[in-house]
Amino acid sequence: MRNDTFSTYHPVINFTYFILVAGLSMFVMHPVFLGISMTSGFAYYVYLKGKKALRTMICFFVPIFLLSSIVNPLFNHKGMTLLFYLKSGNPITLESILYGLAAGVMIVSVLAWCSCYQCVMTSDKFIYLFGKLIPALSLLLAMVLRFVPKFSAQIHKVSDAQKCIGRDVSNGKLPARLKKGMKILSIMVTWALENSVETADSMKARGYGLRGRTQFSVYRFDSRDKMMFAGMAAAGIFLAVILIFKKIFVYYYPILVLNEHTALAHLAYCVYGLFCFLPLAVNIVEDIKWHYLKSKI
Amino acid sequence: MALFEIKNLTFRYPETKFDALNDINLVIEKGEFVVILGKSGCGKSTLIRHLKSTLVPYGKRNGQILYLGQELGEVSARVQAGEIGYVMQSPDNQIVTDKVWHELAFGLENMGYEKKRIRLRVAEMANYFGIQNWFSKNVEELSGGQKQLLNLASIMAMQPKVLILDEPTSQLDPIAAGEFLATIKKINTELGTTIVIVEHRLEEVFPMADKVLALENGKQLCVGTPREVGKKLAGHDLFHAMPSPVKIYNGTGQTGECPLTVRQGRTWLDTYFEPEKEERTKKEDRGRLFKKKQGPFAVEAKEVWFRYDKNLPDVVKDLSMQVRRGELYCMLGGNGTGKTTTLSLLAGLKRAYRGKIFLCEKDIRKIKDKEKFWHFLGMLPQNPQTLFVGNTLEEDLWEMKEGLPFVGKEEFLKRMRMVVEDTEIAHLLKMHPYDLSGGEGQRAALAKVLLLEPEILLLDEPTKGLDGFYKQKLAAIFDRLKSRGVTILMVSHDVEFCASYADTCALFFDGNIVAAEKTKEFFAGNSFYTTAASRMARHLFPEAVTVKDVIETCRKNRRQE
Repeated sequence: MRNDTFSTYHPVINFTYFILVAGLSMFVMHPVFLGISMTSGFAYYVYLKGKKALRTMICFFVPIFLLSSIVNPLFNHKGMTLLFYLKSGNPITLESILYGLAAGVMIVSVLAWCSCYQCVMTSDKFIYLFGKLIPALSLLLAMVLRFVPKFSAQIHKVSDAQKCIGRDVSNGKLPARLKKGMKILSIMVTWALENSVETADSMKARGYGLRGRTQFSVYRFDSRDKMMFAGMAAAGIFLAVILIFKKIFVYYYPILVLNEHTALAHLAYCVYGLFCFLPLAVNIVEDIKWHYLKSKI
Repeated sequence: MALFEIKNLTFRYPETKFDALNDINLVIEKGEFVVILGKSGCGKSTLIRHLKSTLVPYGKRNGQILYLGQELGEVSARVQAGEIGYVMQSPDNQIVTDKVWHELAFGLENMGYEKKRIRLRVAEMANYFGIQNWFSKNVEELSGGQKQLLNLASIMAMQPKVLILDEPTSQLDPIAAGEFLATIKKINTELGTTIVIVEHRLEEVFPMADKVLALENGKQLCVGTPREVGKKLAGHDLFHAMPSPVKIYNGTGQTGECPLTVRQGRTWLDTYFEPEKEERTKKEDRGRLFKKKQGPFAVEAKEVWFRYDKNLPDVVKDLSMQVRRGELYCMLGGNGTGKTTTLSLLAGLKRAYRGKIFLCEKDIRKIKDKEKFWHFLGMLPQNPQTLFVGNTLEEDLWEMKEGLPFVGKEEFLKRMRMVVEDTEIAHLLKMHPYDLSGGEGQRAALAKVLLLEPEILLLDEPTKGLDGFYKQKLAAIFDRLKSRGVTILMVSHDVEFCASYADTCALFFDGNIVAAEKTKEFFAGNSFYTTAASRMARHLFPEAVTVKDVIETCRKNRRQE
């Protein structure tokens, strides 16, 4: 993953941002909004992952988009503008095609934003956030995240060791393989229990269970985070008001109706655009800053 | 006032007939470095677990343990958690959380310190232990040595008065172990922290100690300074574990003051012995380059290359080697040089992309799996525990039968009895394989492999974590196997073991074998990569490699006064 400046903000910022963006992309079906969140989502994903993102987009996003935009008109026959009839006698309408396209864009952009979320919100940020709410849960999550890779590494070791004595789990007939697999699984349970005794000892030895446990974290909500939070909150409230008072709206059925081109609507498009391109903008500003700094060094 | 005072401590596990600890008396002063030694299962761990209330095993206990003059049981849990630090054997199992920084903070969080204070302490520790570069990493990305250092650091972050360590280096390679022990020494001298350590690597730890306690079957054999204990233990079973200078000192009749380190040993030798007069074997004959040997070879590799992925660097590069039938061949070398990979290539678990491997003069690619693992090849992985899948050792051994459907039950039983006798595990058959100690587990795993009646045995660090006594047992088993014509090829870090028992030693470096020679010539020619005995005596007796050699040569060359 690329060095992403947005990820360096406080987890609260990262998390609220993604919730807002994903929510808005999911529930606002306005074509301009959809266009903005799709392009920005894709752009940020490509920024984060480079070539890999392009591959995911072609292999997953395109088929999903096609599927949803084809399936909707085939099964949904609402809408006024009749284009033609299918062999089965079902009508295909312009509105259902448009809605299918919009839904396709919506799904794909939500997916893109979720992929970005995965890159930015690493496990420790997530644990930090939810540990604030439920302290015991955060330690539990941290321990699970420690245990899972350890467990799977040990399974690999055991099955490799079985190969040393000619007991390869990966070949042979299915029943025999199943039997071997079960044996390994059962010894793994023993292994996990056995080792957890020592982990428990180590926890006790370091005073786990004493009263008044505190939480340590490496994050600090600094002035940069405060500014960002204020900006995000302002944009969020503005958009919420606009949407609630229907300054922006869209109806696909029975016929496509959009809001008028008022100044306020244009302002809302701009604000949403800024909001969606925020992580990229933050990165670009940082890049420019570095370029400038470099010329000074 | 003494930090710890153990008075007449006797302890018995429930439902056992013998005392695990019997009348132990020990005083540990503030700032002392105490080493506890003894064979596996002699009660060392049981003893040090008594020094921390939360870890005291369940059972019947008599006697008294005082911590700073107060009964340990009455010292509050909070004080004990902070002041008595405890580091265990397994680097992996002690780690609780998934991030290095979180692990460092874990104990402090439990103590209820506020964020600012934790931040400072964590920063201090990261600096002292040189952890800052991997501070934000996931723990699973760390090496074993780094993990154990992290465990130590996260305990030191609580600023304990005493640090108790239970075989902390048994799962580390020698270099990581050396670094770890050096850090312990540093903590002791720089911070004045009291150290109580149970350790097999006496070569390093013995000279550091102020006080040594030797245990045998739960009884106190002797206590005293390393020199005193070294003298007293002469002739005892435990003596095999002593550092080479002490062994040599005792073997030559205890003249003068006992040397503990190689440096002291050199001066000591200079004072009492003269250089060997006999002509040395001509150095030119001892070619350091790889020499062609005569067959028949059990294992032969010709210009083998291997890498894990097309885009990754080569792990094994142009490797050629020949192992004669019936010999014990040791591959020595640092970590990550490709030794273990080489073993799996030789076992046919991985395939080389260039070059050829022959086992008993058959191309490895033409040997079918079925033929390979019966009467032919056996391999012991580095961690013997990974080989076990049964609930008892006996069940585990029977499990091997399933892979050998063509062997009759009677025949298998006969075979099993023989193997069990060979590896001396008869008394362990009813135990769960995970309850075996390091040395026992190693032998049990070996037994499992031997049921395949291999002619070629490949071993990956079989002496890792074993004490001197178990190493001897293992060597005896190897001898028996060799006399039956089994070829043993082992990868090892254990210079002392290889020097004493191998027929041929090879130095593995950067993906291939740099030198392979008869053991004696191999070690006599090296200056760093050689035994402690050779390092100590090489300026006087260049041919002597093992402790035994040095003692014998010493006897002949005593200075006449």
